[in-house]
Amino acid sequence: MSLGKYLALDKIANFFTVIKQNGGIRGSLYKMYRQDDLKDGVLVGQDEFGNKYYENPRFFFGRNRWVEYSDNFNMDYDGSQVTAEWFGWLHYKTDLPPHEDPSRPKYKWMVPFTENMSGTTGQYTPYSTTRPKIEPWVPPRKSSV
Amino acid sequence: MQAIKALGASAPSTVLSVLKKGAFAPVVGQIRQTHLPAPNPNERRPYSPFQKPSNMAEYAVARLDDLLNWGRKGSMWPMTFGLACCAVEMMHFAAPRYDMDRFGILFRASPRQSDVMIVAGTLTNKMAPALRKVYDQMPEPRWVVSMGSCANGGGYYHYSYSVVRGCDRIVPVDIYVPGCPPSAEALLYGMLQLQKKVKRMKTVQIWYRK
Repeated sequence: MSLGKYLALDKIANFFTVIKQNGGIRGSLYKMYRQDDLKDGVLVGQDEFGNKYYENPRFFFGRNRWVEYSDNFNMDYDGSQVTAEWFGWLHYKTDLPPHEDPSRPKYKWMVPFTENMSGTTGQYTPYSTTRPKIEPWVPPRKSSV
Repeated sequence: MQAIKALGASAPSTVLSVLKKGAFAPVVGQIRQTHLPAPNPNERRPYSPFQKPSNMAEYAVARLDDLLNWGRKGSMWPMTFGLACCAVEMMHFAAPRYDMDRFGILFRASPRQSDVMIVAGTLTNKMAPALRKVYDQMPEPRWVVSMGSCANGGGYYHYSYSVVRGCDRIVPVDIYVPGCPPSAEALLYGMLQLQKKVKRMKTVQIWYRK
């Protein structure tokens, strides 16, 4: 163990690399505002929405892979915006990111990935094609009025 | 299905009603009127869901709404209402791994001081009046998150003689979290969806409209 490590000087060096990687003081403050976290890592890849996927084995398992959502999502990011290709890598189902994994099936009938559209016009609406078993009572109209 | 859905967002309602008979058409029509337009993933999303005000007054009330919603969604205090095993997952949500405190979600033991009620577990007939009473004691605005299949629709006990078939028969529900029991992550996602819902509330704008 070197003296610098013994005196925890490498933590200070880490601090400066983190600030530098996140785009200086302004960029770091913006990232703190947006995702409440500052990390340094290796950019593994990017998906079709522009979300960036990072990895840094210095962090504990479970926190060493993370996603930085695209700037387009602004403050409306949520977990369903991680695409299906990257989901497995981000959740440790596989160690191969999609661009390095040749065995993934790709068919032309596969629909493009969409995020959770609840609350918008694009949301999933369940419907029934069978006739309802119960018919609601329609009150008779008063003829005198 | 996708094609019909895409049509629902763009086509005029007369075409829709001809195309889709039955219960689907009124549902789609209602969604077109009450919901936000579907987001485009390649477009930058503004912070506020209230865009394009027609005059200064509307702009002002829209920003007031933004401020109000920001405050509300940042400090949603749920009522502790653990009924069954889902409550254990709710406790996990409160514990350090998922750490609900970072979203400003703190459990309150009193309904008078809480905004959200998480109905976690089977709602029995015996418990239903108590649930309604607790809900009635909560101050407006209040939200309800139904957690787990038992609270959503009876679940495993749907055909039981002593269980309410879904807590939405007792109280109006905002967010349904599926699962038996839902993981703490699922509940976390449900609460984030509730935050999104709160973000598009139009309290001041509706007051101004009236």
